[in-house]
Amino acid sequence: MTLTRRSFTAGMAAMAGASAMLPAGRALADRSSELNILCWEGYNTDDVLGPFRKLNAGATIRAESGTSDPDMINKLRAGEVKVWDLINLNQPWARGQLLPEGLIKPLDKERFMPYFDKMAPEFAAPYPLAFADSGDLIGMPQRYGPFSFVVNTDKISREMAEDQGWKLFLDPAMKDRYGVLTYDNWNLIHMCLTGDLNPFKPLDEAGFETFTGVAEQIFGGAKLLTDDLVAMNTALINGEIDAYFTGGTYTASPARLDGLSNVRGITPKSGPVDGKGGVVWIELTSAVNNPDPSPLAEDFLEFVQKPEISKAVGFAEGTYNPVAQMGDPEVAALWDADELDAIQWDSLPEEMANSVEYDTVADYDKLMQIYTAAKRS
Amino acid sequence: MKGREHRLGMLYALPVAGFLALSFLAPILLVAAFSIMPQKVFTIFHMPDFSAYGEFLAQGYWRSVAWSLAMAFAATAILFVICWPLAFAMAKVFRGFTLVLTIGVVMTLFVSENIRLFGWVLTLMKGGLIEGHIRHWTGTGFDGLLYNVPVIVFGLVYVYLPFMLFPLAQGIAMVPDDARQAAFDLGASRWQILREIELPLAAPGIMVGCLLCFVLSAGAIAESKLLGGQAVIVIADEVETAFTYGQNWPLGAALAMVLIAIVGAIAIWGISKADLDAMIGRRR
Repeated sequence: MTLTRRSFTAGMAAMAGASAMLPAGRALADRSSELNILCWEGYNTDDVLGPFRKLNAGATIRAESGTSDPDMINKLRAGEVKVWDLINLNQPWARGQLLPEGLIKPLDKERFMPYFDKMAPEFAAPYPLAFADSGDLIGMPQRYGPFSFVVNTDKISREMAEDQGWKLFLDPAMKDRYGVLTYDNWNLIHMCLTGDLNPFKPLDEAGFETFTGVAEQIFGGAKLLTDDLVAMNTALINGEIDAYFTGGTYTASPARLDGLSNVRGITPKSGPVDGKGGVVWIELTSAVNNPDPSPLAEDFLEFVQKPEISKAVGFAEGTYNPVAQMGDPEVAALWDADELDAIQWDSLPEEMANSVEYDTVADYDKLMQIYTAAKRS
Repeated sequence: MKGREHRLGMLYALPVAGFLALSFLAPILLVAAFSIMPQKVFTIFHMPDFSAYGEFLAQGYWRSVAWSLAMAFAATAILFVICWPLAFAMAKVFRGFTLVLTIGVVMTLFVSENIRLFGWVLTLMKGGLIEGHIRHWTGTGFDGLLYNVPVIVFGLVYVYLPFMLFPLAQGIAMVPDDARQAAFDLGASRWQILREIELPLAAPGIMVGCLLCFVLSAGAIAESKLLGGQAVIVIADEVETAFTYGQNWPLGAALAMVLIAIVGAIAIWGISKADLDAMIGRRR
């Protein structure tokens, strides 16, 4: 066949015309075979997505992991509600920001309420932050974990660390013996608790002064700062440091699963917020208020409640965490003794009882300014 | 005729100029626009107030800039000193071995910087390759070699070595052997030859190598994070924090603009001094 200039031009025109039609077609496209999930790492692994893809052959299932809650929320705010179907974040945001801003929508209660019955007692009640004031269900809890600090129990005993709590890091004897895991938003909460301040309530001038002193002392006494949990665990294991400020099951579990059970997340026995000094994060997965929603969103949310998938989520690569579904003995039985030890299953109820819920920091901007200045000096 | 040649030249340069404007200038202009916005906004459609620059001065961010520039300067100076003899040998002494050396150095670039630096962490840490062996042999150990400023400079030197070595070798290759021999014959000392023949004639290579290393080191972040344990907070780290945890894009943009302005001024000054045409072999 010979291609004349005329037929070539005609072909190009046809293609241009067709491509001009495409966006319109796309906007009206049926999204029944597409699902986009914005989540913390874990839900995007093959162990979780693979079986769901098999169940929905032909569907395009994508999951992208974020690096912080605000980053992921910013994506929705920037107009990506049209892109995502599910969002997985820590507990304060669904009730505090996403629902009031219309970025997420309620889930089908009839479909999901029965799953709460089988969850661990803290969630079976059911869990208050999973609900709007109106009683609508706005997110399903799954992974969670106490998150305060981590010690090497060969150097600092668990009892002593729990009794001393955050004051451990103000002890002059600890100078140059600890690191700071620079998860900045968590550091703010933990530094407030160290200074006997409630991070979730606005502070007065004296409070800011106390915070400044604590931040300067914590950074001044730290041997290393890093936002890499592997580097931090390495320093703890080789004896470079004996503890690190900010950490918990999430960061200690990879080392513990490798047999280093002397690396342990610690929850202080007492503290300034209703007598509690520990903090716990709980992830909620919510349905994004996508104007063109995918029916697969709720299917996936129900799918991850299954015992073996709950295990895959809790034991995704990188970090290992308890899941609310372990309240069901059938789910808990999937973890072997080493795996339960990795997630500090033995002390979990006690640690949960000594922890307050992770929440938004009231004076975030001002504290962040003090914090970065202290870090620099 | 000359005018036509000139016009043709302009025409040929158009695609590249367009590409540069889009891929290089546009992002910088966007960052510049953000840097003059009021703090904590996420669009550039606000009344400019330059408050982010005020924050730069008031909050002591200049300290991070100073650390970054000082470490970049130290790394560049050290790199020049250690690369000069090696580059000289590659250009004038080694023959076949130059290729082996080149391949060896280039190969390191195939492995991600973070992985290479983490290799150094395992080497230098307490109980690592060095301290572990010494403790095993002598019975006494020490505290590890990480988490301080010298080890950050070491990391910079390690990572940016190829960027000094190759331009320097290229520069030294431009020094004609005849000129050196003539100087010898006229009774110049080894030192005089270095100062008056080799350094000036190799200047374009020296300038390119130094600029590359300095600019890259000034914006480096991984060395301070992995090896240095953030013993000092570098400016790139501050920019990252402002954009992420700080959720203060204008502040992050202002910090970036300060670095771009300083490094850009140094680079333009350096390039204006070096005869780059000579290096690419197009002499007039």
